[in-house]
Amino acid sequence: MENNIEPFEFKQCVSIVKSTGKYASNLSELRKLISRVGDESIFHHVYQYFLKGHMLEYTNDFAHWAGEHLEERALAERLSSIDPYTLKSVSEVRKELIREIDDFLSNFPEPRDVAPGSEFYFNETVSLVFPVGVKTRNLAEFLVAIGHIDAGSIYYHFYDSRVRLGEGVVDDFSRWIEHTLYRKKVADKIRAIDPFMHSIESREHIKEIVEECVRADMEGVED
Amino acid sequence: MIRQYSGIVPKGDLLLIQKLCDKLKGKSFIHVNSTREGGGVAEILQRMIPLLKDLGIDARWEVLEGDATFFEITKKIHNALQGNREKFTKKMWEYYYEVNRKNKKNINLNADAVLIHDPQPAALIDFRRKSSRSGKKIWIWRCHIDVAHPVSGVWSNLKKYIVQYNSAIFSVSKFAKSLPIDEFIVTPSIDPLSDKNRELTDREINEVGEQFGIPRDKPIILQVSRFDRFKDPIGVINAYKIVKKYNDCRLILAGSPATDDPEGEAILNEVRDYAGNDPDIHILLLPPDKHKEINALQRMSDVILQKSIKEGFGLTVSEAMWKEKPVIGGAVGGIPLQIVHGLTGFVVYSVEGAAFRIRQFLNNPDMAKRMGQEGREYVRNNFLITRQIRDYLSIWYCSMNKGKHVLEL
Repeated sequence: MENNIEPFEFKQCVSIVKSTGKYASNLSELRKLISRVGDESIFHHVYQYFLKGHMLEYTNDFAHWAGEHLEERALAERLSSIDPYTLKSVSEVRKELIREIDDFLSNFPEPRDVAPGSEFYFNETVSLVFPVGVKTRNLAEFLVAIGHIDAGSIYYHFYDSRVRLGEGVVDDFSRWIEHTLYRKKVADKIRAIDPFMHSIESREHIKEIVEECVRADMEGVED
Repeated sequence: MIRQYSGIVPKGDLLLIQKLCDKLKGKSFIHVNSTREGGGVAEILQRMIPLLKDLGIDARWEVLEGDATFFEITKKIHNALQGNREKFTKKMWEYYYEVNRKNKKNINLNADAVLIHDPQPAALIDFRRKSSRSGKKIWIWRCHIDVAHPVSGVWSNLKKYIVQYNSAIFSVSKFAKSLPIDEFIVTPSIDPLSDKNRELTDREINEVGEQFGIPRDKPIILQVSRFDRFKDPIGVINAYKIVKKYNDCRLILAGSPATDDPEGEAILNEVRDYAGNDPDIHILLLPPDKHKEINALQRMSDVILQKSIKEGFGLTVSEAMWKEKPVIGGAVGGIPLQIVHGLTGFVVYSVEGAAFRIRQFLNNPDMAKRMGQEGREYVRNNFLITRQIRDYLSIWYCSMNKGKHVLEL
């Protein structure tokens, strides 16, 4: 029967960084350029921040720069609170960034220019997507695969998919588990993982959920 | 050949290299630089060319030939691109162009992709065949040096060649310029299989310790770098002196003499004088090819510093991190890209800051170990040679598919 199941094919995304040649030395310049650069650059500095794997105090490059280089912690917190996964598109993210900066500038004096060498450099990426040669047909195989693949694969299926599919809320894993394996409860649990609150360590949470389900299946516990 | 890296580097990088080579199979890829040996560029080419050949790419490596006058001029160009004032005459630029023109006769530049490294051979683009300008042949200029604040006249002279390329590659975002061509960012890398980074046996490490007369009786602090002011060797000794009041330790300053720097000798003497008769300070002058010895010194150390006040990229930081060593680096050049402050090491801004972080590491071995392990993972994912090879092939492929932001393979 498993032969009839459409397998889940793991893919991976590798991003090559491209410079736009534009940079900002202060907050007004940053605001101006955020309003002008292409969607690809906003996408890179906000969504692909999750690919860095080291979630520290911030959730995007703009917030990081505001906190570490402009040394404006309040602005950094507010920019960090913009959750790109609850917004419908990159242009909405751009609007939110500008709104937060305008709001800050209307309440606080303009921060000084950053030290030379600490400017914000606007980049974008070209993404190369390729299959990693792993296909799974059931949850047990999926469990093995999820522990084995590179972080770039988790990013592609769990984060990038939300933008790629344009649905705003769905990841590739839960979609396959619900629509191919018909395991809605497992899919719902995976969907309940907040992508904004986790970096690539989402892998561990997905593993826990699937492992619990596989164990229950082995022990004959009903879904 | 690529299998040598399996189990060491990220699986995805190897897979993507293979997929790209499948797409580019049979195509020719030529690299041109100005030296066969010495330096990071030659090091990566020595590895990369056979590996690409093995994967079906017709890869070649050509070296630009020039006389002493030419290399004096290009050394000045190099220095001026890094912001140092140098005197240039029209004749010097003509000589530079003339050497490139002469080399055109000896170097077969007919290839599907041509990657020119650094300024020395940059003018070769002027001799690109007319037929290849509008065709699918890709010419890429790869800049390995810090061009954040170049002397403007020198940059504008070079720029007239650079804008003729299909794209340019810089090591760090802040080195990129506002150019009418695509500009990619590719950080440098280390080779985990080279003598400088491969695993060593305890015996090999001990032999180097004995060779340099370094007792292994107390914690060792190390900085590996050329003896020049930008690496702040005096600052490192000062930091050691502060630490020494609290923790007994040794300091090793190891590096090659800066032969192309007229100040090199003076600085070395200054460092020696400053160290005085302290038997726990070891100043080691090593020829640039003593890779295994550097490797062993790094592996026998407890804390590794790169307290530079000006830096290109500072790959010695990645070398140390790959060996799971806790690192402390100055917040300059590419060092903050390698050290995620508080996670893979510490970034410092002063002698006092360096001393404080050394003491933290010496007093918290668990923290030092944890950061060392995080550092190795960070290097594995970001600064190994396979990632750089992957990036070069990707840029070639992207240039063939210009304008697309997502490429499915």
